[in-house]
Amino acid sequence: MSRKPYQRELPKTTWFLRHARYKKYMLHEISAIAVAVYLLILIVGLFRLAQGPDAWAGWLAFVTSPLGLVIHLIVFGLSLVHTTAWFKAVPQAMRIQRGEQFVPGPTIVGAHYVVWAAVSVFVLILAGVA
Amino acid sequence: MARSHKAPFWFLFAAGGTVVAFVLPVMVLVTGIAPTLGLFTEALSYDAMSAFVGNWIVKIILFGILTLALWHAAHRLRVVAHDFGIRADAPVAGTVYGLAALGTVLTAIALLSV
Repeated sequence: MSRKPYQRELPKTTWFLRHARYKKYMLHEISAIAVAVYLLILIVGLFRLAQGPDAWAGWLAFVTSPLGLVIHLIVFGLSLVHTTAWFKAVPQAMRIQRGEQFVPGPTIVGAHYVVWAAVSVFVLILAGVA
Repeated sequence: MARSHKAPFWFLFAAGGTVVAFVLPVMVLVTGIAPTLGLFTEALSYDAMSAFVGNWIVKIILFGILTLALWHAAHRLRVVAHDFGIRADAPVAGTVYGLAALGTVLTAIALLSV
């Protein structure tokens, strides 16, 4: 192509700071970094578990260290950002028809929150919450 | 019409994003924050965790959760790289999907060795 497409001048790494909506977008996009870090910690944890009680205790010592706690608190915060942003987008991605009408967006989002609560309670019971 | 090779990656992204949305917060709570608070010490003990992960159904479920989350994160990191001005998409895609593939294999090895 000989034509030179117009490219708007944008600061490459700070463009999203200009607008609250862009900041929100970037926050849920970088939640992927938190997810990746958490998965790395978990996969290492599985290997440590396979290596025996001492290795597993070492992994738990890392998790309960100040650094481990800070990492997990950040990951937890960003995972909540991901969940709320993901549920918010569901009605745009998934249209459910019932008879003549489409199921309203808030109903679909609400159902997701109910299932989320149920899944979370189930995991907590599994982990030993009486 | 040109067929896009992006479809499988997008499917993994969407499936992974849904799994992450439903299970990751509570998982981080249990494996990442509860130990510091002294909660679930019994469930997180070596014996209980070995027995839990030793169960075949648990292995399969964990493999599904972890690998879908990996491919979700990989696809999103590809977009993040673009958002931060990195326009070399092919090397970025190769790197993130390569890491996801490596993570998938490592997850399987780890789960099988418990």
